[in-house]
Amino acid sequence: MSGSGQSLEHETLASEFVFTGDLAAMIAVRDRIMDFLHEHCADEQKETDIMIALQEGLANAVLHGSRNDPSKIIRCAVDITPEAITIVIRDPGQGFDTAVATDSVDDGTNLTQHGRGIHLMRSLMDEVSYRHGGSELHLKKLRTG
Amino acid sequence: MVKLLCSGRIVLGVEAETLRCMATSRLERRVVVDLQQIHAIDAAGLGLLVELHCRARQRAGMLTVANPSPCVRRLMALTHLESVLQVAAFAATDVAESADDEDERRVMTA
Repeated sequence: MSGSGQSLEHETLASEFVFTGDLAAMIAVRDRIMDFLHEHCADEQKETDIMIALQEGLANAVLHGSRNDPSKIIRCAVDITPEAITIVIRDPGQGFDTAVATDSVDDGTNLTQHGRGIHLMRSLMDEVSYRHGGSELHLKKLRTG
Repeated sequence: MVKLLCSGRIVLGVEAETLRCMATSRLERRVVVDLQQIHAIDAAGLGLLVELHCRARQRAGMLTVANPSPCVRRLMALTHLESVLQVAAFAATDVAESADDEDERRVMTA
């Protein structure tokens, strides 16, 4: 695992976290990312929302994009501006059909263990989008409002 | 009946596995999972609660989510689980006074 941080401008911070595609590495880097965010995100509720969404995004990258394979590499970029916190998670997988990636929680009848992650991310973040065929997740949380 | 007092977070990984092992190792029909001290739960944690709920029903038992913290309650509402899981508020002494065979275990999940 590795991470690098730099101050791009007075009001902008960016850092990239690179880790292997297994659960143990994910847990360690998740906590490092949250430490980084904690230093710059004063709003406790927004920080909690970001932590849950980040957990979901990283878990999907490990379990689906990397098949929990430590030989795979996952990259997570974090950008903090006065306006928003943006997280981009890129996994080495083949992606998925984002058009049909829906969670089945809306009617309250989902009695399976799975199918809540994307719904949670969309509920907790201001913007959630996928690029590169689903292998790159973009999360944005506005810092104002 | 057994009451599991959880603290920390219930998320994918060792935290959720700890709770799963503790809950599924019990033979009591009624399991109370106290989430008052839980400050974070993710989709895997919510899925685990559903799994334990279904497991209890298959055994003609019951899973009760007791004292969910504001964070847990909010995420349960977002995923519409408040209508699926049995949620209850317990005072610390309620359970002990209502069941002679009550057992209590602490589950430290980070």
